[in-house]
Amino acid sequence: MNTTNPRPAEGRRMIQAPVLSGDAYPEASDEVKIKAQPVPGGESCVFRLNRKLLAGHSWFFPSFESAAGSPLAEALFCLDDVETVLVMESMLTVTRKDKTLVDWKPLARDIGQALRRHLEGGAPALAERILQGMPSEEGIREGIQKVIDIEVNPGVAGHGGSVTLLGVRGNTVTIQMGGGCQGCSAADLTLKQGIHTAFRKAVPFVGAILDETDHSAGLNPYFS
Amino acid sequence: MPKLNRFNIKIETGDSGTPGPVQFNINHHVLPFENAEGGTGPGEVFTGGFEINSFAHTLALVGPSAGRWHIRRMTVDFDCESTPPYSVNFGEVTLDDSTEVNLWQDSPIPAFDV
Repeated sequence: MNTTNPRPAEGRRMIQAPVLSGDAYPEASDEVKIKAQPVPGGESCVFRLNRKLLAGHSWFFPSFESAAGSPLAEALFCLDDVETVLVMESMLTVTRKDKTLVDWKPLARDIGQALRRHLEGGAPALAERILQGMPSEEGIREGIQKVIDIEVNPGVAGHGGSVTLLGVRGNTVTIQMGGGCQGCSAADLTLKQGIHTAFRKAVPFVGAILDETDHSAGLNPYFS
Repeated sequence: MPKLNRFNIKIETGDSGTPGPVQFNINHHVLPFENAEGGTGPGEVFTGGFEINSFAHTLALVGPSAGRWHIRRMTVDFDCESTPPYSVNFGEVTLDDSTEVNLWQDSPIPAFDV
């Protein structure tokens, strides 16, 4: 998290340049390479690979039962302590059941081995039935816009906030939080417990939900 | 927010340069870089830095007073108190007389191979 609160010089608008990942693996490497990066606080860990796990779509597995028919998720849920799994392109995000453990290394090693076995086996990451039932981007966009208009925005409007749908790619949804939500210390909670739940309930085929809000640049945060 | 002791910057200009001066904004104070070397013409590389010894609530590279400055890549080396030195690479950005680009990034989250 960016802890500064950048404010532009008088009369100038502050913009962001893309941050280039200096430690990304070269995709051309023959060897499967996996880097694990626990998030601050340790509630989840992001795994980045030099291979695509799932191209064009993303998928969130909230439980062991939801993994039925998806070999990679089945293997991951067989590991002790795996709570949820999100697969997107060459990235995997795992949350753990035991929130008191902050050392991800033992579980991350097991997940790394499961990922390697999956890639060597060549099985698809996602059950065929899920891909066959996948609605169009337009269908997902309409469903998400509806839940934003009817449920999410009326809820966050009480704090002067708003949520905007920036786009849908495959079944990956990108949003931006504005007004009082931008820079709010509770924005992450609102996103994960409120918005994610509302989106997935209304549109069950939603995969990853990306937040492109620059919370460090909020000029009118709720707690200012 | 850690105390920023010093930062150094390397700016690689792309197709469109600026005659300068190259300035940065630290907490609403616009200053020139110390130890400035090189240039900001098309294809040129500029390096500089500054001894901050304070908390950077705002740290940004200020756009040119006229025209457009196409930056192909920037590398910023941060020396902060209580954290190991780290570098951040930024990709393409174009600045003009109405913009400045944020330079501050927290130290990277540790990652390990599995």
